[in-house]
Amino acid sequence: MIGTTPKPFEEISHALKGYEKVAVIGCDGCAKVCMTGGSDQVSQMVEKLKENSKNVVFALSPERTCYVDKTKAALDPLMDKLKSAQAVLVLGCGGAVQITRQVLENYGLTIPVKVGLDSVGHIDTLIMGELAIEQCQECGECILNETGGICPVTKCAKSLLNGPCGGAQNGKCEVDSERDCAWILIYNRMIALGESDKLRRFMAPKDYSKMAKPRRLNIKERRVE
Amino acid sequence: MKLTELFDKGEFVITSEVGPVKGCLRSKDGGAVPQCAQEAEMVRGHVHAINVTDNQSAVMRLGSLAASVRLKERGFEPVYQMTCRDRNRIALQSDLLGACSLGIDNVLCLTGDYTSLGDHKSAKSVFDIDSVQLLKIAKGLNEGRDMMGNALTQSTNLALGAVVNPNFEPLDLQLLKMEKKIEAGAEFFQTQAVYDPAVFERMTKKTEKFGVPIQYGIVIVKSPQMGKFMNENVSGVNVPDWIIKEMGSVSKEDRKKKAVEITLKLIREIKPMVQGLHFMPLGWSDIVPIIMKAL
Ligand code: SF4
Ligand code: SF4
Repeated sequence: MIGTTPKPFEEISHALKGYEKVAVIGCDGCAKVCMTGGSDQVSQMVEKLKENSKNVVFALSPERTCYVDKTKAALDPLMDKLKSAQAVLVLGCGGAVQITRQVLENYGLTIPVKVGLDSVGHIDTLIMGELAIEQCQECGECILNETGGICPVTKCAKSLLNGPCGGAQNGKCEVDSERDCAWILIYNRMIALGESDKLRRFMAPKDYSKMAKPRRLNIKERRVE
Repeated sequence: MKLTELFDKGEFVITSEVGPVKGCLRSKDGGAVPQCAQEAEMVRGHVHAINVTDNQSAVMRLGSLAASVRLKERGFEPVYQMTCRDRNRIALQSDLLGACSLGIDNVLCLTGDYTSLGDHKSAKSVFDIDSVQLLKIAKGLNEGRDMMGNALTQSTNLALGAVVNPNFEPLDLQLLKMEKKIEAGAEFFQTQAVYDPAVFERMTKKTEKFGVPIQYGIVIVKSPQMGKFMNENVSGVNVPDWIIKEMGSVSKEDRKKKAVEITLKLIREIKPMVQGLHFMPLGWSDIVPIIMKAL
């Protein structure tokens, strides 16, 4: 999922300055799991906005705000109210905000869309409601087959491909003594699999053109273009 | 001169490190002699070459190449240190061509300390390539082509050094990387600071067969506080209690003398296992000649 954290309310307040009538759109996908933009957090935001003398014209949480069709389907029945809004606050990832803007533009509406969350990346949930960690940076050329299913591009602070730097201490990363050194994890895993010799192979520099932004996915043909 | 020529002749190769100043070196005549040059002067005649660090600990300062060139002008043999933290593959290759063009003969290829350890914590870390890849690329430049296989008008001619940390656990993983560095092009190694001859022996038993020269890395512990600080804050280094105790057993004025004594003891035990020494004196360059004379 896409990890998100709430922006400080002062920052949201500042972004909404001058707009009295506000619509709030959350997301019952990733933002719900992160407890930042699901229906519960949307209700809390509505209360706060009201306390700050905003007129909330409507509030809702589409199933996935980053899907154009789902957001449009949620907004279609609310067209009149939407037209009266002076601003839309989205409690979703940066993608959800931009899809919402896109949907509004498709309606022919020019309403400012503001973001209430900070997006912090592709994150995997380890303990529901407690902990999620970053494990993949979508490099476009997955090397997990070579590294025992542990990603050095993401889990090694320096994205090293040919083994550890010299800085690990007690199995922990030199950058953060709370975090395991990715290369020691990979090494131990490869030993357990009886494949540690595979780590002797030279890993060529990554082809970062595969990460050149912004990527477009041709879903029909299942390829990046 | 390339350090590899010295190793080939069987010389016991001595290097000492300096860190460039935080500031520029516009005029080499007139004005105060910059700290890094002063330190180099202290070891003149006692070492074969001077390592010049590359924004060490991710603290922004004069670039390693500029400082290396300035030292070369003063008659020193620099070992230009290059890390992968701040430059992508285009900049690194370009700087290797630049280094050779400016008269540099030796390059030490490192990963580099992470950005958050330094004084520009919000900087974007690059790490486009790693140290093994950098060595392979540098070897390619020596052979007349860039990493994409494009021909160079003139090849570089650089001796390629690398680092290894004998303290690393698991050691076999560190040595696996060392072997990859050798295959990629590393011709000599300098080690992380080691304070236990047994740790060194454990490594050299396994690295002897690699057939590459290794210089014993020496960080002089200047005070008991520094020993403790290193244990707590410098990853991959262990300063044993006996050194901290001995440094604490003398008055401040006698610390240099004590440090010489401790360093000599370690060097004498480790010397038979290595092909050279690499000092990282951190401001105490004046004791390097004392140690070298006593050896
Ligand atoms: S190598 Fe790492 S970053 Fe790349 S796709 Fe695989 S898991 Fe993701
Ligand atoms: S300690 Fe391990 S995880 Fe951390 S930067 Fe070094 S190799 Fe990567």
